[in-house]
Amino acid sequence: MSEPSRTHASLLPSVAAVLAGAVYMVFFLAGESQMVVFGLLVGAVLALAAFKHWRVLDAVGQSARDHQGPFSIVVVAAVAAVCLYFYDDAFVLFLLGTVLVYVLTCLGLNIQFGFVGVMNFAGASFFGVGCYTAAVLTKHTALPHLLIIVLGGLLAALLGFVILIPVLKTRGHYAALVTIAFALLFKTFLEVNDTLGGPQGLKAAGLNLFGWDVGRDIAIGDFEGSFYLGYIAVILLLAILGFIMARRMEDSWIGLNMDAVRLDETVSACFGQSIPRWKITAFTIGNFYCGVAGAFYAMMLGYIAPTNFTFGDSLILLSIVILGGLGSLWGTVVATGIVIIIPEKFQVLQEYRFLLFSALVIAILLFRPQGLLPRPLRGYRTLKSLPGKS
Amino acid sequence: MQNPLLSISNLGKKFGGVTALVDLDLAVPRNRIFGLIGPNGSGKTTFFNVVTGIYPATSGTVVFEKEDITRFSPQKVYRAGVARTFQRSRLLLPLSILDNITLGDHSQLENGLFFNLFRRRALAAQYRQLLDKSRDLITIFDPGLADRIFEPVVNLPMISRRRIEICRALISNPKLLLLDEPSAGMTHEETHRLIDDILQIKDKIADLTIIIIEHEMSVMERITDHCAVLNFGQKICEGTYQQVAADPEVQKAYLGVD
Amino acid sequence: MDIGLIAQQTVNGLMLGLIYSLVAVGFTLFFGVLDVIKFSHGDMLTWGVFTAFSVYLGLTLIGLAAPVLILVIVALVAMAAIGFLGAAIAKVLIIPLKGAPPLNTLLITLMLGTVLRESIRLFYPDGANPKHFPALLPDWSHSWGHFTLRFDNALMLLTGLLMIVLVQLVIKRTKLGMAIRAVSQDEETARVMGINFNLVVYVTFAIGSALAAFAGVIYVLYYNELSFNMGLLLGAIGFSAAAVGGFGNIYGAIVGGFLFAMLQSIGAAALPFASAYKDVFAFGVVIVLIAVKPTGILGEKETERV
Ligand SMILES: Nc1ncnc2c1ncn2[C@@H]1O[C@H](COP(=O)(O)OP(=O)(O)OP(=O)(O)O)[C@@H](O)[C@H]1O
Ligand SMILES: [Mg+2]
Repeated sequence: MSEPSRTHASLLPSVAAVLAGAVYMVFFLAGESQMVVFGLLVGAVLALAAFKHWRVLDAVGQSARDHQGPFSIVVVAAVAAVCLYFYDDAFVLFLLGTVLVYVLTCLGLNIQFGFVGVMNFAGASFFGVGCYTAAVLTKHTALPHLLIIVLGGLLAALLGFVILIPVLKTRGHYAALVTIAFALLFKTFLEVNDTLGGPQGLKAAGLNLFGWDVGRDIAIGDFEGSFYLGYIAVILLLAILGFIMARRMEDSWIGLNMDAVRLDETVSACFGQSIPRWKITAFTIGNFYCGVAGAFYAMMLGYIAPTNFTFGDSLILLSIVILGGLGSLWGTVVATGIVIIIPEKFQVLQEYRFLLFSALVIAILLFRPQGLLPRPLRGYRTLKSLPGKS
Repeated sequence: MQNPLLSISNLGKKFGGVTALVDLDLAVPRNRIFGLIGPNGSGKTTFFNVVTGIYPATSGTVVFEKEDITRFSPQKVYRAGVARTFQRSRLLLPLSILDNITLGDHSQLENGLFFNLFRRRALAAQYRQLLDKSRDLITIFDPGLADRIFEPVVNLPMISRRRIEICRALISNPKLLLLDEPSAGMTHEETHRLIDDILQIKDKIADLTIIIIEHEMSVMERITDHCAVLNFGQKICEGTYQQVAADPEVQKAYLGVD
Repeated sequence: MDIGLIAQQTVNGLMLGLIYSLVAVGFTLFFGVLDVIKFSHGDMLTWGVFTAFSVYLGLTLIGLAAPVLILVIVALVAMAAIGFLGAAIAKVLIIPLKGAPPLNTLLITLMLGTVLRESIRLFYPDGANPKHFPALLPDWSHSWGHFTLRFDNALMLLTGLLMIVLVQLVIKRTKLGMAIRAVSQDEETARVMGINFNLVVYVTFAIGSALAAFAGVIYVLYYNELSFNMGLLLGAIGFSAAAVGGFGNIYGAIVGGFLFAMLQSIGAAALPFASAYKDVFAFGVVIVLIAVKPTGILGEKETERV
């Protein structure tokens, strides 16, 4: 049987949108004065509203959905181009690197919350596990750093098992309680634990990949760039990998099973689903993402302290997921950019960011619970493009 | 009765102080349509819930295909070959028609993490197979729905939802299908169309037994081979529809005379 | 350990247990009427405390000098204000979300808690730093050997217990309480019986929130210090206490509150080298208890209707 015939949208609108976005990012990130940045922000909001009104956004969305592969490649190229544009601006590059770190983290949280519906209020703690793993292992062992990053993820996943049973056994709000308690206690634990540096935290060695010292500035021929370019290259790869895996998970029976468990446990049980199985899978994979991101972040930042892993930070991470749209992978990417970059560009806002983002999430939940970029229906698009062998 | 598919003996279910089922004995013959009748709150849905393992039985046994499934989890009951629909339609509303039907075939799918993430071609092949299977199935009920198989079910009218729910239950080729008031929320005419569909399905699938709960008596008259009547959790009568309808006790239960 | 110290610990534990119970009762009341977790509850307590503190400053500014009178006014104003705020929150944020997934309410109130907490930190004068709350009760005390019973502590314990009994009486004996219980049991039937559902919800949220303010006042009288984030941990503890006692059951909340305080004391005694771990211990035990018995100690098992 053939597909219901529907004209495919052209690739053009989405490519144009990505290019426009990249140019905008360059201006936004390069903006020095607060007035310019503020003007750009207001401009973006107005432009988006206008585009929505003229249905330009729908066309862009349709085009992006119909050409997922090419669209994703264009996005990656655009991100790379923006990073290269700021090749010697350490502040901007660090900011972009941080965004990518949080993209990976929030993709993990989205797998937990958006796919299977387990709310994890300890995202920052699992991220912290990764950070501390990296700090301790780079200092005391000679393990290859790539392995250490993986170990950071594994350790976070492993620690997740500690609170797994209550997360599984009990319905929604108990999982919330348990993760909240975990987040609160994790910070206390770090602060009183002298071997982990107490409130001062620890230093972490820079990333070294197969002899390439990523912490060194880059010089290739005449080109001289900040060492952060190297870090960005690595985290970009990790984020892409994380994204692809999450997308594959979504576009498979696993994604369907997780949706079923989230939407109706009774029905799932009546059709043979093992509910713990999917919760464990999502929770563990999500924590693994957090831990990997954390381990990388510790190496990029060079030091870590318990103040980065508070309950408030966990809430910000969750805000990103909700803001982007539950289960929406592109939404997570966009929302991370918004939530991480805007306060950095507005130093005035930095102080108010917990307040602002909490208020924003309240507004989103009340007025647009599906988030900024609502998750599209599963269309098994990544499968359809594969050549058949049946 | 010789070799019934499902035999219930002494089944009891209590919710705290409320007794929903009392000492129920039933034998459901193979490849028939078995009707379950009874006034509101007489325990019909509870019977389905106990059989499918959602509620544990307080007493008694449920034997399916000679296997004691009384203590089975819902998952194991499903794997043994029992599928059901729900009185208050329970589709996964934000998901597509395809996803809703596919869910019913869980036991036939490869659910391993490695398979789903890395063996994408094999997965794609399985996906195509399932897409065809779901389309064929839903086409029997409503070809229009087959064309809209990627649309979310939330926008569909009740009759379409009921049809999808039945497809979800049928796609795994169960031996026993439990239908809980499939016509609830439908017009008279829609109800009869649905019943035609069910009879058609029954004709196509040789080895299928159906237990149906219905309030609409004309439906029961038309499709059931055998009926049992519950009242206050107890079986008060059993037989063909005509026998049951003529029974004075049944009339009393329905008219509410003591 | 000598008797005096143990007695001291006991008073301390009772005081904390009382505070936790008062917070937990709020959680349980909200859960009863609406099946929601209102996580901003701990921060309502903080707001209660800061209201109390502001009123205190105001009263001393206009020259009122009788500490006990000040205390009474302070407590009443804080309870009234927070009760009102609680009802307003129910109206604006909680009832509108009634049809949405229950986790949304939890999320919204969590974020609301952050908003409440952060607005104190950012907008209250010097809100980021802890403040001293004066002792407003006379400092009489009586000693038995090493153990000194302070009059103010005894009075606070007594008032707190009275408050719990009072709430219990309201719920069990009055028409209002009957309406609350009816709504908790079965909303539809309650509506059919002519109960004004929204009103019952507002009143319940007002009572629960006022209790939190009351608990906050006791807390600062006992510790003499207030800070913008004091409510976060208290909220999490109150939540755990309500959960371990069994949501929707007032006795459960009370038992849960005292249980949590007892666990903290045991933790502190058993891990004297690291008293910071007493919370880890208490939460750990509570979490295990919930895992073993998800319905809580006094909660009844309820099967979902299919
Ligand atoms: N989960 C439950 N908890 C408590 N009581 C229940 C539960 N499920 C059903 N009951 C009670 O058990 C009795 C039988 O209910 P059941 O739903 O099985 O009736 P029914 O025959 O399906 O009625 P209807 O025709 O209205 O669907 C009723 O008194 C009902 O209130
Ligand atoms: Mg029923």
